Amino acid sequence: MPRIGLSIRAQLLLVLTVFLTLPWLGYEYVRELERVLRDAQERTLAGTAQAVATALHDRPRLFANPPDPIGSFARERANDQPGNGATLPPSASPEIAQIIEGLSRTTARIWVIDRDGVVLARAGSLAQLAVPTPESWSSRLSRATIGRLYALVLGQPYEDFDDDAATQGAPRGRDVEGALAGILTTDRRPTSDGKAMIVSAAHPVWVGDEVRGVVIAEQTGNAVLAQRNRAFERLFNIVLAVLLVGSLALTAYATWLSSRIRRLRDDAERAIDAEGRVRGPLASSDARDEIGDLSRSFSGVLARLSEYASYQEKMASRLSHELRTPIAVVRSSLDNLNAASLPDDARVYMARAREGIARLTQILTRMTEAARLEQSLSDVAREPFALDEVVASCVAGFRVAYPAANIACTTPTEPAIVEGSPDLAAQMLDKLLANAVEFAGGGAIVVEVAREGGNAVLTVANDGPLLPADMQDRLFESMVSVRAGSGSTGPHLGLGLYIVRVIAQFHRGTARAQNRADGSGVVVTVTMPL
Amino acid sequence: MRRIAIVEDEPAIRANYGDALRRHGYEVATYASRPEAMAAFRTRLPDLALVDVGLGDEVDGGFTLTRELRALSATLPIIFLSARDSDFDIVAGLRLGADDYLTKDASLPHLAARIAALFRRSELLAAPPSIEDIVERGPLRIDVKRLTADWNGQRVDLTLTEFWMVHALARHPGHVKDRDALMRDANIVVDDSTITSHVKRIRRKFTAVDPAFDRIATVYGMGYRWGE
Repeated sequence: MPRIGLSIRAQLLLVLTVFLTLPWLGYEYVRELERVLRDAQERTLAGTAQAVATALHDRPRLFANPPDPIGSFARERANDQPGNGATLPPSASPEIAQIIEGLSRTTARIWVIDRDGVVLARAGSLAQLAVPTPESWSSRLSRATIGRLYALVLGQPYEDFDDDAATQGAPRGRDVEGALAGILTTDRRPTSDGKAMIVSAAHPVWVGDEVRGVVIAEQTGNAVLAQRNRAFERLFNIVLAVLLVGSLALTAYATWLSSRIRRLRDDAERAIDAEGRVRGPLASSDARDEIGDLSRSFSGVLARLSEYASYQEKMASRLSHELRTPIAVVRSSLDNLNAASLPDDARVYMARAREGIARLTQILTRMTEAARLEQSLSDVAREPFALDEVVASCVAGFRVAYPAANIACTTPTEPAIVEGSPDLAAQMLDKLLANAVEFAGGGAIVVEVAREGGNAVLTVANDGPLLPADMQDRLFESMVSVRAGSGSTGPHLGLGLYIVRVIAQFHRGTARAQNRADGSGVVVTVTMPL
Repeated sequence: MRRIAIVEDEPAIRANYGDALRRHGYEVATYASRPEAMAAFRTRLPDLALVDVGLGDEVDGGFTLTRELRALSATLPIIFLSARDSDFDIVAGLRLGADDYLTKDASLPHLAARIAALFRRSELLAAPPSIEDIVERGPLRIDVKRLTADWNGQRVDLTLTEFWMVHALARHPGHVKDRDALMRDANIVVDDSTITSHVKRIRRKFTAVDPAFDRIATVYGMGYRWGE
């Protein structure tokens, strides 16, 4: 049976994709965090610059020196050898150098320059101290797998950036301009190779009312970047884990849910057989949720359906019972009338009335035959019997009853012993033969019993008109007939083949009707296990 | 004059049956309900009772009446007459001691024939048997006058219908009697499956007397045969 395209499980997982926005939310959060960290970094640098400047304020002597020849020399040398980070300009003012020396252990680089941009002193370096941390296998694994993904998404801190200051001397950025104008200014600029961001703060050094120098504190953005990345990775790992666990839990839940629904569906389908009859009650679930509710309501519907079906089944027998009484009234009246002296012309009508009553009685009998058969099946004892013998005997009897019928009969050399009731088998064959005789219209009827595999196969074929394609399966249902209506000998309620099927099923077999492949007639096949 | 009681809730049938039986020379009393019939029976028993199973509101009123009637008389012939023809009803009715069970499909001449036969049986049961009315087939001994059957000297308690069917079969052993012939001989009009259940009941009654009984053979598609 084809199932709907999207199972509940798939639907729930689809709903779960909503939570994929969680990493994006996390990303936004981390970006915010990064901004805060940057601000903090800038403030720290500004603080450092201010602290150094405070130590240098109002000491004109320190800035009194003319441009230092050593500094100039160093700058020229640096120009000769670009890209060599080891040739940073040395401090031109040993006094200042001494003052800021204590700061060289910080992670910031401090410059002190005069108004002309001449470097008076320098301390510290931009390079981070690489602290080797022991890596656990899990972090190594995550770096090898998901770490690559992060590396794609997140900017990574590089420690091998080109330090411009190493080649071009003290920075002269916006911050220095600002500081020279007397304002504490912070700035960030990328290195020339774009691999890192340098954050700097410049603080003016006052001598009296005059800005005599600038203290620049510099740091790369790498620390913040690394911190941001760590936060992001941590957050993302957690979100991923939650998503994974959540989807596993949801899948399990959906599986459980859909298995309950599937079970309910299977039960509901099993509860009604192919003919739409209720086989038995549906075990209603005790679950207190909606599915339990559904199951209970199914069970209720089935119970009502079954009541209705049994009402309908009893209908025929009740109807026939109700009709028998008025028929008996008519019949007994006719019998009495018959005994009275009647004129001859009245006898004709008398005979017709009797004929009509006889037909009515026959209809009633056939109406109840199927119902009575079904009722009696439960008490019928099963015994092994030779199907071929019963069939041969029935065919012989039928030849006597219908001398005009042309019936051929083939039975296997080995007896086909089936378990069941020979009486019922005879009744079944009686229906099959009566049908075949009527449909063959004088044509040949071929009855055959064969052993095929573990089954006895009884076929009754006739040369009669073909079955409409849509009727081949429905013929065995109650009250279904393909007869033309007129010209037949007795009433037809479409119960004959229904009885055949009931009896075939009693023998744990099946019955089906098909047109012959060459279109020459119809074959009814009954298969029973040997 | 023989007196027949008809207990039947349908007035038209009651009147029709009454008229027909009176024409056959019986005195007929008709009752519409069980209490009415029982009240009359306590005063005077009829010679034969024709009882409908469903009596007005009492679905099984006829069964109840039969039980009460059997308590009054063990030998009174009782015929069930019913619109119902299920095996269950037939078996239940016969078990209560009815002598026969007819559906309302039966024609009045059939009914009259049975009533006459039942009277003959109860009449002759006491009289000495005459040789020409006895049919003997091995262990089977049938008294046609008294409508009784014995197997190995033991009485097999058959209803009229059953008796006539056994008689029809045993009279010509080895001959296949088809269903129509059986129905004709037994004065009944029923469908094939009812014949089958009649035969089943006959077999069961003989088997109760002799577990090895297997004289009635089914010839599928044709009918039944008495085997020697």
